[in-house]
Amino acid sequence: MILTGLLLLALALLGAPLFAVIAAGAIFAFGRADVDQIAVVMEVYRIADTPVLLAIPLFTFAGFILGESRAPNRLVRLSDALLGWMPGGLAVIALVTCALFTAFTGASGVTIVAMGALLYPALRDAGYRENFSLGLVTTSGSLGLLFAPSLPLILYGIVAEVSVDRLFIAGILPGTLMLLALGLWSFREGRFLHQSAAERPAFSAREAVAAVRAAAWEIPLPIIVLGGVYTGFFAVSEAAAVTVIYVLVVEMLIYREISFARLPGIMRESMVLVGGILVILGASLASTNAMIDAQVPMKLFDFVTAHVSSKLTFLILLNIFLLVLGTMLDVFSALIIVVPLLLPLAAGYGIEPIHLGMIFLANMQIGYCTPPVGMNLFIASYRFNKPIVTLYRATLPWLLILFACVLLITYWPWLSMVMVQ
Amino acid sequence: MNSARPAARAWEGNGPFGRALRLLGSMEDVLLVVLLAVMIGLAAWQILARNIFDTAILWGDPFLRTLVLWVGFLGAVAAGRDDRQINVDVVSRFTGEPWRSRIRVATDLFTAVVSGFLAWQAVRFVKDAAAYEEIAFASVPLWLTASILPLAFGLLAIRYLLLSGFHLRRSFGGEADE
Repeated sequence: MILTGLLLLALALLGAPLFAVIAAGAIFAFGRADVDQIAVVMEVYRIADTPVLLAIPLFTFAGFILGESRAPNRLVRLSDALLGWMPGGLAVIALVTCALFTAFTGASGVTIVAMGALLYPALRDAGYRENFSLGLVTTSGSLGLLFAPSLPLILYGIVAEVSVDRLFIAGILPGTLMLLALGLWSFREGRFLHQSAAERPAFSAREAVAAVRAAAWEIPLPIIVLGGVYTGFFAVSEAAAVTVIYVLVVEMLIYREISFARLPGIMRESMVLVGGILVILGASLASTNAMIDAQVPMKLFDFVTAHVSSKLTFLILLNIFLLVLGTMLDVFSALIIVVPLLLPLAAGYGIEPIHLGMIFLANMQIGYCTPPVGMNLFIASYRFNKPIVTLYRATLPWLLILFACVLLITYWPWLSMVMVQ
Repeated sequence: MNSARPAARAWEGNGPFGRALRLLGSMEDVLLVVLLAVMIGLAAWQILARNIFDTAILWGDPFLRTLVLWVGFLGAVAAGRDDRQINVDVVSRFTGEPWRSRIRVATDLFTAVVSGFLAWQAVRFVKDAAAYEEIAFASVPLWLTASILPLAFGLLAIRYLLLSGFHLRRSFGGEADE
């Protein structure tokens, strides 16, 4: 059994698709327990019995449409008009727009590719240092993971069986904390950059109005989605459907930036991401069930509680574990595979599932940018044509700040829980 | 989920077999796009109907959930065809040819075997559902809604088998150029 586990781990590290590795684990475990292996497929079919899942293809498709349109440009222009006068204003703009964009497109590297291409040259032109600018666009690629309607939040709700609406609310404060902390860092860089206020663009009411007008159709979007869900007017999957229709009407009929001919390509492209996630989710429903049959969560629980006495130690170990995990797995697979095992453990130490979700996602967000193998580093290296080592150095201060935020989120449950209680 | 797209399906080849594969791929894509469009339309209709006419199609919600399964698995098949399944690519980032291809032969073959096994179990699942005349929702039989599973896993198995062959040839320098 240990040998099989090691073999599967080796295959995963060598790059075998994760769904196959997980499914093989389930097949093997069911085989050992003399369960008919048809059970694996029956578990996979449970995907068709999970109502909230509908939100995932819909939000993903809407996000891809937004990414293909000129919405990112309008978003940057709008933030520039509103925040450009501040010291470090452009950097703060970059953070805010990236966070918003990631919330709507999922943390799949789309942000770095779509927003980074706009923001990195703008930052460099405005005189920000290369390393600062690189660090910013790289780390911002996963900022916004905690804001609704980000896919990882929805997926956590599904896997942990927590209400997605409540997760949407719980993410507000921890997400804002990260944004504020990085904003302060940018503010500092901005003051260092501009000696006098005269060099900064002054606030222009005319440009602000023009920018608001240009984005007039997109500004209501977060309000419709978040307002609808927060007030309980829409279920999450309904909000997703409304978002898709709204985005389609706005980008195709009003702005006319996406033609009908391009639609099938965008549909397919977005569903490649969704399919990649769902097939892992399906395999994982089976493997989780096999593990429960073999009492793995219970054994793990006994083992950990026997060796880790305090909640504090558990949280420290959890942080370390998640950081390492985040460097190797993308947030979706990590979530699907690990959360079912972590939930009973965390409950044993009195950690609320919602708080665990915030800890989990905040750690994963850092993992995306952690050397040597964080995904954002590679995407940024590829996108901006810089050696990976340069990116290691450029992201370091940002990582340290985010790490401090993760510690706060982990050890101060109030931050995650106050809004939902 | 790599942003770097691999060579445009060089593994499919150019002969009549390759053309057939590409035709099959286009058919999968058409089905995917149509089903996603139906999903969006129906989801929107359900909200409208519920809020304006105070009624909704009764089988609408289970049908939508089935569509999620179908669209998801067709997406997974497309991901396989693009060679973009989610994986841990630690090793491949630090290895060069021909070792990268040699490793791929093993992982592709493994994926093909697992997918093939799942396809076989899925065929059993669908056969059972047909034999017991199980119903998924309304009067739609379960064998029909579940038939995407043998289909998707079967297609994945075939694609990964072909991919392993492609990487085998490449690891011996047969198709060294990308």
